[in-house]
This record gives sequence, C-alpha cells and structure tokens, in this order.
Amino acid sequence: MTLHRIRLMAAREARAERGQPDGLVAAVTFVATLILVESLAVGPLAATQPEVASALFWIAMVFAAILATTRSFERELEDDAIDAVLALPGGRDALYVGKALALTALIALVALVGGALSLLLLSLDVLLAGHLALVLVAGVLAQVPVVVLFVVIALRLRSRAALVPILALPVLVPQLVAATNGTAAAISGDAAGALGWAGLLVAFALVYSVLGLTIVPAALE
Amino acid sequence: MISTTAKTTSALRARPFLGAASLVALFVALWMALVWSPPDAAMGNVVRILYVHVANAWLAYLAFVVVFLASVAYLWTKRPVFDAIAVASAEIGVLFTGLTLVLGAIWARPTWGVWWSWEPRVITTAVMFAMYIGYLLLRNLSDDLERRATRAAVLGIVLVVDVPIVHLSVTWMNALHQLPSVLRPGLDPTLDPSMLASLIAMTIAFSFLYAYLMTARVDIERRRQVRILEERA
Repeated sequence: MTLHRIRLMAAREARAERGQPDGLVAAVTFVATLILVESLAVGPLAATQPEVASALFWIAMVFAAILATTRSFERELEDDAIDAVLALPGGRDALYVGKALALTALIALVALVGGALSLLLLSLDVLLAGHLALVLVAGVLAQVPVVVLFVVIALRLRSRAALVPILALPVLVPQLVAATNGTAAAISGDAAGALGWAGLLVAFALVYSVLGLTIVPAALE
Repeated sequence: MISTTAKTTSALRARPFLGAASLVALFVALWMALVWSPPDAAMGNVVRILYVHVANAWLAYLAFVVVFLASVAYLWTKRPVFDAIAVASAEIGVLFTGLTLVLGAIWARPTWGVWWSWEPRVITTAVMFAMYIGYLLLRNLSDDLERRATRAAVLGIVLVVDVPIVHLSVTWMNALHQLPSVLRPGLDPTLDPSMLASLIAMTIAFSFLYAYLMTARVDIERRRQVRILEERA
C-alpha cells in the first residue's frame, strides 16, 4: 500500500515537472550560470584543474538541488495540496520517499547536463568516463536526502529561502568533499580513488535516507 | 497539548549547590592547571590553555549529545520539558564550541605560527558551530510552540552526526591537530599523570558549570513556554 503511494507520489512529481518544467529549467540554468561565474572568478587557468573544476561543479549542484527541491515543495504549498497528501494514511512516508525519488531523477538529469557543460566549457579530458558517471550518480544520491530533509524542516517558515542553505550546507560538507575528490580522481584517471569516494558517497546516501525516512515524517506538518 | 504548569523540580532546587560546586571546582581546577601541573617539554606554559580548551570541547560534545537525546525524547513523548532541555543544551553547546575555537586559535598562534589552520579538526569544529547556530536560527524563525519544538527536534537528531566526525576527523585525515590523547579506544592516555589529573579536574569543573547553566536556562525556557501559552489563551 505504502509502496503504491510512493510510486504514485513520484509519478505525480514527474508529471508536474513535465507539465511545468520550471524547476528543471531553473536548476540547469542556475548550474550553467554558476559554473561560468565561478570559473571567471577563479580564472580560466585555475578553473581547468580537475580539483577546482570538480569543486565548482559540485557547489553549483548543491545550490541547484536546493533550488529544485524548494520549488517542488513550494508547488505543494501553493494550492494546499500538501494538506490533502498528509491526511492520507501513510501519506507522510509516501510524500518524503516519492519526492526524494523523483527529485533524485531530476537532479541526476541536471548533473548530466551541467557536467557535460562543464567538460565542454573547461575543455576537460576525462580519463575514466564510467567512473565519472558512477561518482555523479553517487554524489546526487548523497545530496538529495539531505536537501529534502532540510526543505521539509523549513517548510512553511518565513525566511526559508535563506534558512535551507544555512542548515544544509554545513551538513553537506563531507558529501561535497567526497564528490569533489571522486570527480577529480575520475577525471585524472585514478580508478581506486574514484571508487573509494563513490563508496563513501553511497554510505552517506544510505545513512541520510534511513535517517530521513525515520524522522522526516514527524517534521511534515 | 503543552502543559501550562511549570513545576519546581529537584534539578531547580539543586541549582544553588551546582553554582557553589562550579565555583569551588573551577578554583581547584585552575590552581591545578596554572600552578600544580608542570609546563610541557615542547610547548612550555602554552600547554595550560589546553586544559580549558579540551574541557570546553568535551562539554560541547556532551551538550550536543544531550540535544540529541532530548530531541528523541520530545518526538517520543511530546513533553515540552524535553524541548526546553534541547534548546538550553544547544545554546550552552554553541557557547562552549565558540570558546573552543577561540581558545584553540590563541593556542595555535604560538604553537603553529597561525591563528587559523585549514586542518580537519578545526574545520569540522567550525562546521559544527555553524550547524548549531542554524539550529538556534530555526527555532527563532518559528512562532508556533509545538511546530518549533518538532522541527528543532528533527534537526537536533540530524546534527548529532557531526559530533563523531569532529572527534574522529584527526584519525581519518592527515591532520596538524594532535591525535586524541585521552579517549583512545583500547589504549592508555598519553598524558603525564599530573597533566591528566588537571585535565580531568577541569572537565569536572566545566561539567558542574554545564549542569548549573542547564538548570537556569531550562527554568527560563519553561517559564517562556508558559507565558506564550497564556498569551495564546
């Protein structure tokens, strides 16, 4: 029953995004703009170093994930749809898991487009493309449960646009470090390094998914 | 529903004794740290800052673990006293973490040659400081008593993940900060016995101070909860 609701919730989210893809468009545009601005700020030479390019990409991805997730929950609040979902038996779990799944797919898409754009703009040669894809997926999996968790905590609060980054960014520091190092390792051809950092990201994803599933339904009001 | 009765608990009755115990213990611990214990062979008298720095850091860990336990208890029972305990401990933990960072910087200047170093223990502690400032900010942005307590409890559970990260960061990564000297699983402390005794005395003194501050702050928060509910009614 709950699995069915989760599937419905994820499908509903995907449908809403297809019908009105402003979250996706905003996130992709945001990632592209931020990568450009950051690269200009640090200088084109420094920006083409794998470690710097990876850091710039993942910082942009964190903000894009916050943007897309906030937009997704704002949509629920606009017509009070969230109240109806929460009133359903198992609605809280379904809302959290369904949203997290749909947003993971959405942000993975943003990472794919943003990553390709980064490689193109910064003329980076990737030595281990498969490993890079693995780190990208693991990085997105590690980010989304944390971002959804903090968007839910700050839901219906005034100043939530400022509060979510303030709360989420310090918690996301280990994931940012792991994703940056894993991406740089994949670009530079360090297979063991890339796999090690990807494993750590998956561990973070598991810890925060379980934590989120355990306590987020209590925070949904 | 939140109870509007603020009871005088045994913890509150113990407050004057805790205050007196804090004063006495701090006086003894300061004498041990500043007079009784020897200077360090390498650091000289600068080592004396560490007695306060380390005690502060441990108490910050304790305070944030108490936030976690009180948060779990609040979500479990919905009793407002646990929310009061959580906010009190978070505020004291932020104070102790801030002091840890400042004292660490004062110690680092003559020892490492810089006030601030981008090394794992320092960064993770600063991140923990930022996290719990965010926790306090979240509380201040919410007006509704029950919702604020629920949101804060969820956050209080999530944020405790950083406490072991701070403590173990020096063993996981290449660090300028020294490795744990006392809490070493399966190993004896590396400190001279007189230094260890001074450190333990300072930690006990700060524990009394923490308990004293907790009783005072929990009392204030309970009164605040009652006032808000009376205004609402």
